[in-house]
Amino acid sequence: METFTLLMQGFGVALQPINLMWALIGSVLGTAIGILPGIGPALTIALLLPVTISLAPESAFIMFAGVLYGAMYGGSTTSILINTPGEAGSMMTALEGNKMARNGRGAAALATAAIGSFVAGTIATLLLTFIAPAIAELAFYFRPADYFALTVLAFCSVAVVMGRSRVRGFISLFIGLGLGVVGIDAMSGQPRLTFGVMQLLKGVELTVVLVSLFAVGEMLYVASRFRRIPGEMVAVKGNVWMTREDFARSWKPWLRGTALGFPMGALPGGGSEIPTMLSYTLERRLAKNRNEFGHGAIEGVAGPEAANNAAAAGVLVPLLTLGLPTSATAAVLLAAFQNYGLQPGPNLFTANPALVWGLIASLYVGNVMLLVLNLPLVGIWVQLLRIPRPQLYGGILVFAMIGIWGLSGSFVDLILMTAIGLMGYVMRVYDFPIAPVLIGLILGPMAENQLRTALQAGQGNPVVLVSTPLSATFLVIAVLFLALPPLLRRLRSAS
Amino acid sequence: MPVLPTERDPAPNAIAGGGQSAVSRFFARPYWIGLGVMAMGAVWLWGALGLRQGARYSAIGPGLFVTIIGGGLIVLGLLLIIQIARGERFEPQDAEDAAANAPMDKLAFALAVLAAALPIVLMRPLGMPLTAALSFVLVCRAFGSRRLVLDIVTGLILCSVAWFLFTRLGLQLGRFFPPLGF
Repeated sequence: METFTLLMQGFGVALQPINLMWALIGSVLGTAIGILPGIGPALTIALLLPVTISLAPESAFIMFAGVLYGAMYGGSTTSILINTPGEAGSMMTALEGNKMARNGRGAAALATAAIGSFVAGTIATLLLTFIAPAIAELAFYFRPADYFALTVLAFCSVAVVMGRSRVRGFISLFIGLGLGVVGIDAMSGQPRLTFGVMQLLKGVELTVVLVSLFAVGEMLYVASRFRRIPGEMVAVKGNVWMTREDFARSWKPWLRGTALGFPMGALPGGGSEIPTMLSYTLERRLAKNRNEFGHGAIEGVAGPEAANNAAAAGVLVPLLTLGLPTSATAAVLLAAFQNYGLQPGPNLFTANPALVWGLIASLYVGNVMLLVLNLPLVGIWVQLLRIPRPQLYGGILVFAMIGIWGLSGSFVDLILMTAIGLMGYVMRVYDFPIAPVLIGLILGPMAENQLRTALQAGQGNPVVLVSTPLSATFLVIAVLFLALPPLLRRLRSAS
Repeated sequence: MPVLPTERDPAPNAIAGGGQSAVSRFFARPYWIGLGVMAMGAVWLWGALGLRQGARYSAIGPGLFVTIIGGGLIVLGLLLIIQIARGERFEPQDAEDAAANAPMDKLAFALAVLAAALPIVLMRPLGMPLTAALSFVLVCRAFGSRRLVLDIVTGLILCSVAWFLFTRLGLQLGRFFPPLGF
């Protein structure tokens, strides 16, 4: 009951006119960047960070939530209408959704995607509402050793799951960890890896790395392999609303997608790619008319879309309760919390209930707004795709530059922008996952801090690191993440 | 033109060896990435040398974590080199507007890199609006735009408006046009 009261107080915050306005701005911005290629929610939030510093934290996070959810609605629109999934999570939507659009059922595909996202987003937010406080309660008992083991687990799972190769995943992670130690060491006050450069004393900002990797790296990559013939856009035909049969075929996939997406999004390294893929496979297996798959089956849009949105809400569980980011977007949200001097985790729920519950309540509000914004107005949104690509990518670089130069007017940041941008290019060409860099960068200093605090408490005895049941369990799971995939492969090839 | 081997469209001569140019070997077997990772590890290890590894009360000092990262990078770089020697394949990532299998357009890439690097030299002397506008024009050119005058005008308007807007929002973007002192 207490949760319910707190949630109502959250609605009190989220429904203030000023915050409704920020939610609307976030939703509109999110939908737009979801539709536009080359720019995603993580990059958008990173670019908004310096601008929002004068806002109240509640307002800023309500806007970010709108961006996060809106980007997913926008992403499904482009997947369905032009078969270009903007992010990994909407790849599966494109499979059946684009076929549906080609068969003249684009409106039904857009509707099942939007309503499915709404249903999944709402259920997942409900789950978040009731699960997050319980986990936060549990996290009160975490000791530094537990936190350290948990970050090690997050590192291992992120590096293993996010890439196609473990070695490349770990290289990405270690590059992030390496950038994370640059600057003044918080515990001893000594400068590390600054090479006598004054501007490096404050460390390498997440915003600089994120913007360089996502905006500059992407721009370089697309420029070098530009597809001059843009994807063909299918006009929206058919009724805007779904038929009774469409509903009958969609509601179960929505629920199953939510059930897959939410827990997997909450797990470190789960992301949105795996649950959407699983949901698609599951729906194909369960479908009565299996032959329709591959030719525009509505279940293949409904399930993955729901899974995608539910996973996005799931990501917020470890972020809010443990301060543990499990995706690039979550990493930048954590940086946003730190910008306000806030540390997500169990204390946030007691120290700043207006922020946490306002944010959660705004997810409900944002979902309703996005449904209204997206279903009837889809024709207006796709006009954004008419922006010519040369000017679009030119504009992305301009905003990247403003975001980096505006941080601190540092000449060193501009050098980093080019260098890390080139690294982002190489990572795309040779298929290194990008998110582990950001997670290593932001979690590395936290892991080091917990390690040192834990060892200090244990008077330097490393046994303290595995002395609690939780820390031992986390570390065992981390080892399993490393050892299981090759072991399974060996077993399979042996049998 | 170097072609990267991919699973969907395996380049016939990329991995198989024999009769390929040094350039295509450089791209298909990127030993240099492994060396680069090891070099970064070496720099971090070297940086850790000047730091205490242990501390009196806390068992580990500011250097230990840096040492672990540096050592880790060297091992990982070595593993990557071994993988490449064993014929590891690299499949470029998919992106909207990009054809992963397409050959690299070197001129476009060079123009785009120039656009990204321009601010290092020009941001201070020329200020943000003009520098960003120049980069904008270069990116447009890299993406095949041939309407130079229109791009210059668009870039100048976009960057000036962005400068005013973001300066009003509280960002420190420097002066509008430093050469004239305003």
